[in-house]
Amino acid sequence: MRITCPHCGARDVQEFTYLGDANPQRPEGMATTEAAMHDYVYQRDNPAGRHRELWYHSAGCHAWLVVTRDTRTHAIETVETARARAQGDAA
Amino acid sequence: MADAATIAWTPRGSWAGILASGEFGTAGQPGVTIEARDGLGIASLIAGDGRDEALAQALQGHIGLGLPLTPCIVSSARHSLVWAGPDQWHLIAPDRNGFDELLRDLAPLAAISDQSDGRAALRLSGPKVRDTLAKGCMLDLHPSAFPVGTAALTSIAYMGVHLWRIADDPASGDAVFEIMVARSMAGSFWSWLSASAAEFGCKVTATGRG
Repeated sequence: MRITCPHCGARDVQEFTYLGDANPQRPEGMATTEAAMHDYVYQRDNPAGRHRELWYHSAGCHAWLVVTRDTRTHAIETVETARARAQGDAA
Repeated sequence: MADAATIAWTPRGSWAGILASGEFGTAGQPGVTIEARDGLGIASLIAGDGRDEALAQALQGHIGLGLPLTPCIVSSARHSLVWAGPDQWHLIAPDRNGFDELLRDLAPLAAISDQSDGRAALRLSGPKVRDTLAKGCMLDLHPSAFPVGTAALTSIAYMGVHLWRIADDPASGDAVFEIMVARSMAGSFWSWLSASAAEFGCKVTATGRG
């Protein structure tokens, strides 16, 4: 698998470190319930298909990326920087 | 305590005790030429959010170079600025003369860390330089994919490297690459590079510093 880093271009997957699902949003810790915090920390979907994931370009530019990928084929749909994604989410 | 410890600090070049001038590997015309780049002034610059423009202007005024916003290196007669990640650069000078003063002038505009003693750099050239690098570098270094001025952060033999291509050797026309690694990795990197270059015949120029 090769991931096209928005900064560096297409690189072998061994340059990257996988973190996991990019979808969970951390609840406001002081306001939320224990159950919601539990879900945020532990509950993950395990889809066969489209998945949004966080990857870190550890052996390259050290940027955090959001990769949308098909877990069955490894076909990558989009790669964005996590910063751009966060700004998009906020907007 | 009866005896006060006496410590004598002796400056050592980053390649001291690792490589020495000479030739090794297959005899004959060397396929790879390696030059230790010791004594450089190296600093990492990290612009604060939204301060790229002010830093770029200051650098233009001080050293006459703009900030590269893509993975590449720009150079003047004395200084180089090389892209080192998003909003990060390395400023490189051939020696430390005036380097501290330059960093002091730039300090209000960026997070600056002097890396002169923290990195080890080599200049690689010769007709077999790409064949040598191809043994460990996953990037396509063909001239069409990696023209003069391109820079990259990648890994070679599991070691993080900062790699860029400078102007071709005017005498031979061969491509010239520079590679910078963390100084703590210099010995391990040399172990990989010397083994990879040996079959092509290799000429080494050390500075003799330290």
